[in-house]
Amino acid sequence: MTFLTELIVSGLAIGAIYGLIAMSFAVIYKATGLVNFAQGEVAMIVAYVAWTISVHVDGNPFVVAAAAIVFAGLFGLAIERLVIRPMMGEPVFTTIMVTIGLAVVLRSSIVFLWDAYPHALDLGVGQEILEVGGVRLRSGQVAVFLILIAVIVGFFIFFRRSRFGVAMRAVASDDRTALLMGVSTARVQSVAWAVATIISGIAGVMFAIIYELSPVMFTLGLKAFPATILGGLDSVLGTAFGGLVIGTAENLVGGYFDPRMKEVAGFIIIILILMVRPFGLFGTRRIERV
Amino acid sequence: MGKARILAAAFAALCLAAPASAADQGVTDTEILLGEVEPLSGPPGLLGIAHNIGVKLALAEANANGGINGRKLRLIAEDDGYVSSRTIQSLRKLISVDRVFALTSLSGSGQAVASISLVEQTGIPTIVSIGPVEPLYNPPRENVFVVGQSYEEGMRKLALYLAEKHPDARWGVVTQDDDYGVALREGLEKAKAEKNFNVVFESIYARGQKDFSSEIRRARDANVDVFIAGGIISENVAMVKEMETLGMKPAVGIFWPGRVSAVLNLIGPASDGLYAVDYVEPLGSEAGKAFVELAKKYLSEDEVKHINRYTMTGYAGARVLLSAIERCGDDLTWKCVNGQLAQTKDLKTGVMAPITFEQGSRFSNQPLHIMKADYANKTFVLVDD
Repeated sequence: MTFLTELIVSGLAIGAIYGLIAMSFAVIYKATGLVNFAQGEVAMIVAYVAWTISVHVDGNPFVVAAAAIVFAGLFGLAIERLVIRPMMGEPVFTTIMVTIGLAVVLRSSIVFLWDAYPHALDLGVGQEILEVGGVRLRSGQVAVFLILIAVIVGFFIFFRRSRFGVAMRAVASDDRTALLMGVSTARVQSVAWAVATIISGIAGVMFAIIYELSPVMFTLGLKAFPATILGGLDSVLGTAFGGLVIGTAENLVGGYFDPRMKEVAGFIIIILILMVRPFGLFGTRRIERV
Repeated sequence: MGKARILAAAFAALCLAAPASAADQGVTDTEILLGEVEPLSGPPGLLGIAHNIGVKLALAEANANGGINGRKLRLIAEDDGYVSSRTIQSLRKLISVDRVFALTSLSGSGQAVASISLVEQTGIPTIVSIGPVEPLYNPPRENVFVVGQSYEEGMRKLALYLAEKHPDARWGVVTQDDDYGVALREGLEKAKAEKNFNVVFESIYARGQKDFSSEIRRARDANVDVFIAGGIISENVAMVKEMETLGMKPAVGIFWPGRVSAVLNLIGPASDGLYAVDYVEPLGSEAGKAFVELAKKYLSEDEVKHINRYTMTGYAGARVLLSAIERCGDDLTWKCVNGQLAQTKDLKTGVMAPITFEQGSRFSNQPLHIMKADYANKTFVLVDD
């Protein structure tokens, strides 16, 4: 039983990172109808910027966190304004191709701006070894899970209680009607990009603290994408659950079956789920009346 | 035979004849042009950039001494991003467009294997010093010279050392699902046949995997005393840190692609005492320190910062080539250089044991050393000398 518990708990920790990035995919999709395939690269860039800041401020975690969040917000706004908005009115497929191009550019920029070497994001926190109910974990692993819970609760309240959250839901539901009702869709979309970049940036920074900072971090986006589809592309909260399911499933497969299947476990799950629920576990079923 | 077929046959004959007539391409009265392909971007840039710095160092050193037989050396380095199709494309450019005289690298092992027939057909003198795998030297090719040691033999040596040091131990082995992993597993099998140690946990992971919590927990439950972390860099870091989290303290062996000080920084104190195998000198040794001093003389501060073991392999490979070119004197043809390379004997580079190509062999077969990580000084020290 302990082995099972350990696999689930450590799976939830990596799943929380997938979950945060998956949520960022969904936030952008919900507000713009667009899948940003550069979300893993965005997480990586924010982590590299956090590392650069940490080197200059001697690793003070509060300063680094605040500066990284500000950067992530501005970075998200810049991507929306400079890369995505000029594509407005173009076919969605074309815009998606632009995000793929953006991913390649961001991925390559790491070696140009920084280097190809792996680095440790040392903020003096996150590496402590904790024992919770007989399961040993790094404090960073516990922290990322708690951050995911906090972000889920934050989004729940935001979508239900805030005017902006309601506006966002209105844009997601029907952007033209929302526009006619006085909602600034452009503003909603800008904020969605900023928020999504902050969330994925947090995931990137936490990954760098727990594991390492390296140019292969962008693959987190590839791992989080099945979680997004599993949870439902238009369900921000569902995708967080999807991340946890994928992380846990990977660990259980690695622990009880062939570890080579770990990397494909998430994809097997989404194939099975989508055969039954094509819109994901929590996604909205589209009904067309003819 | 139709007209088209005659033309095609004539074109093929022309292509086959091309190497002989173009044997001295890339050479002028004042310059010898060399080329290499390696990953200079993306994660594998860790090895490609370092290798490129080593080749540049060898060339800068030779140029500072007046060049070779009055000719200065110039290098064109192409980035393949560790993608085989780009390696072949880059090689075609170097050989046919830039018309370099010789090649100092064919990128990583997979890329080199993919491009070996192209290189063999041209006859251009070629040094392989990043991924010295068997298909590159067995069967031997007239113009391809491999400097280093095979992964398989490296693993055998490391396993034999650990088996000697930890008799009756329970072993855990985690390797990658590619040609690198296959070579390590083959080396381990050979060592096992010799020492008959007990492997109680074995696992293969998919390249790119980040989290090893399930594998390491299984290794812990199997009570392993010796653990082979058969990843490259990130994977070994993740495995050793997971062991630290679980309070495990087996003897851990890692392999040379990850024997860089960055690994020690990333793992932290838990890296102290890691065993590694390699055929180049550790940077912390006297030979390593002398190499860094030499690099400081000819390279920029930024380049010196990026030195690692691949800088040494690049330097040694280039030195082998330059020595052969020098011995050819004014008769600078591919045939002469290939012949001189084959006769290389006890060439001292200072960064590895003297290099020799035995009769008929195109593999330098470097002797291996076991090293131990010294976290306090962020280096590895020799333990088997």
